[in-house]
Order: sequence, then structure tokens, then C-alpha cells
Amino acid sequence: MKHAVRPGLHRWTRLEYERLIDHDFLREDDPIELLDGLLLVKEPQHSRHRTAVLLVAKALERAFGEGWFVQTQSPLILDDRSEPEPDVCVVQGVPRDYVDAHPTRPALVVEIADSSLRLARGRKAAAYARARIADYCIVNLIDRVLETHREPARPGPARRHWGYAATATHGADAAIAPLAAPSTRIPVTDLLP
Amino acid sequence: MRGDEARICLRTLTQPEPADTMRAMASYEPRTRRLSRAEYDRLIELGVFQPGEDIELIGGELVVAEPQGAPHYTAIRKTAKALEAAFGPGWEVRTEGPIGLDDDSEPEPDIAVVPGNPDDYARAHPSHPALTVEVAESSLAIDRQHKGSLYARAGLADYWVLNLVDRVLEVYREPAPDSEAVFGWRYARLDVFDGAARVTPLAAPGSSIAVSLLLP
Repeated sequence: MKHAVRPGLHRWTRLEYERLIDHDFLREDDPIELLDGLLLVKEPQHSRHRTAVLLVAKALERAFGEGWFVQTQSPLILDDRSEPEPDVCVVQGVPRDYVDAHPTRPALVVEIADSSLRLARGRKAAAYARARIADYCIVNLIDRVLETHREPARPGPARRHWGYAATATHGADAAIAPLAAPSTRIPVTDLLP
Repeated sequence: MRGDEARICLRTLTQPEPADTMRAMASYEPRTRRLSRAEYDRLIELGVFQPGEDIELIGGELVVAEPQGAPHYTAIRKTAKALEAAFGPGWEVRTEGPIGLDDDSEPEPDIAVVPGNPDDYARAHPSHPALTVEVAESSLAIDRQHKGSLYARAGLADYWVLNLVDRVLEVYREPAPDSEAVFGWRYARLDVFDGAARVTPLAAPGSSIAVSLLLP
């Protein structure tokens, strides 16, 4: 819709969202995620995207090792209005720790983005920052770089929305260390399809 | 009277849209899950929404209404009374009631005049009001562009925007396709009446309503 003026949309709470699933109104495997109260329809996934998800998951499993696990495209509870399904995230503990409730505070969140780059840098970054996710990475498939977003920052004179104060771009020849696994070195090239 | 003969210059009609970053962002909004009217009605039956939640289904999107101030509500009551008097028996004047407009819209216009009596709509909401009125303060742009296009697409012949900002009544008629409009339709004709004018609804041709009776 190209029009400038849009009415305000209803913001769903996570409770309402879960009731939609309970009532079979939405199915758990519907390509939908709740972000900041909006039921966002996920873009269909290209094979490049899926390949990057697998590469990132493998690299992170190797880097983090015991005491952590990696989940892909699974729900994460951020707050009352957000239950996104990031492409990859690293969570402390073992899968059985989350039998009764989705994880809330992953050590690292990674989104793979091509056409969704604007969403990943905008609304998603704001939601992750607001939930104080310390380490958020975007595998930018358009420019073939890794973007790190760190230091969640609240809105203020300098920024209108929640966001990250420290962002950096790393080329394919660089290597990065996740905040929660500081002694590791992950070559960016290992993450790119 | 054709739209171009309307003599009143409206500040709000000529103001350019501000190049605001939020709005620029909004135009790149990711796609949200759309609802059909049947799904929306089912959600209401299931009690998923909080009672009293001010929500309308507009073109598949769940839209929230702005909280209304005293002038807005006063205008609704005054307009409803004036229309009841103008239309007389055989017509039902509904305020803020749902309209089963189309497959993906169930708006709740501030006032809608429909044929018959309340019992006629005990099983299903009316779908095609003879006259639809929105009272607009902060919602002026949305009532003109968004809802105007939606109502034009549904073929509603007579749509009024009671513009509290400029204290005039905008009368929209003659729905016509327009690919530039939000929902692909708009009203081809706009007449603007100030507080000194009188207006006649299309469906009550023998009546004449002083616009001053509608304004708070």
C-alpha cells in the first residue's frame, strides 16, 4: 500500500497470540511471528537463506560447545508483545530446561536477511534491544557481510526507538567472537552460503 | 454542485503530507497476517478480544480507534438525532455499530443509516448503509483516504465526513475506480458545506438538515 496515511493497527499481546494458537485459529507451523504486537507473515525461504541458517547453527554449536544449545527458527519470548522466531539463537543450558516455556534470554540472536534486511535492522533490532539481548547479528546476504549489533540503548534524544549503540560490519575475511564466547574466533566466511 | 465549485478552502485538504520518517518507515511495513470477516467474527465469538476493545476490521487489518473526546461524541449524538428526524420511520440510525461491509471489512462507522428496524439485524449486521458518517478530528486523513476508499469500493452511495477541524461537512458521492486509492476506489464527487448550509441525504430526498445541527 503506497499511501502515507495509515490507521493504527491493533497490537496483539502474547497471551492473545497463544489463544489464537489454542483455538486452532493459527497453527504452530504457520509462517507467522509476533513482533511488537504485530502478526508478521514470514517471507518464503530461499535455499540460500536455509543454507545460511544451517551454516550459522553449525558454526555456533562448535564455538559455544557444552552448556549451550543452538535452536533454529524456534520461538523466543521477548516480552508481552513479542514472540519472534529468529533464524538462529544460542541459549544457555540443555533443551529439557525449556520443556515448560520457551527461552527468554538467549546469549546470541542471529537473523539471516536478504529482502528482509530492513525489517532485521529496524523493527527486529528494536524488539531485541528492548528485550536487552546483548548480542544480535545479521547475516546480510545482499552485501555478504556480518553485522554485529551490541549495547542495547533506550530511546532518547539521539534515537526515536530502542536500538543498538554499537554496530559494526565485518567482511568475509574477518572473524568474530560472540560476547558470550569471547575466546572463540568464527570466520565470517564460514557463515556465508 | 461539483467538487470544484466548493468555495471553502480547507487548510486540511491542501496541507502536504509531512516527510516524516515514521510514515516513510510505515510504507515499508512488513506484511501482517490479514483476517477475513468470517475469521474476525469467530475471534469475537471466542472472546479473544477484551470487551470494549475499540477495534475495526478494515481491509483485512485490525485497526484501533483513537480514544474519542467530548466534541467527537457530542457530534455523533447530534448527528444521530438530526438524521433520525430527517429519515423518519422505516429507518434505523445506528451509532458506532458494526457493518458487515465486505469479505475482509467490518468497520464501525460513527453513524450509519440503514433501512428497517433493529430486529432486522438480530442475526447479521447490516451491510449497505444508505448513509454513512464519520466524525473526524485527528482521524481526518484516515476518514478521507482510507475509509473513503473502503466505502467507495463497497459502493456506499452517500458518505459524509463531519470535519470538526474546519467545522464543515464533507459530502462524498459517486464511487469510482481509482488505482491510486488505498482500496482501488474513491469518491468522484466532493461537496463541502459550512455551518450556514443545509444538506439533503440521497436516501431522504425530501429532507433538509442544517449543518449547524450536526456540529458540536
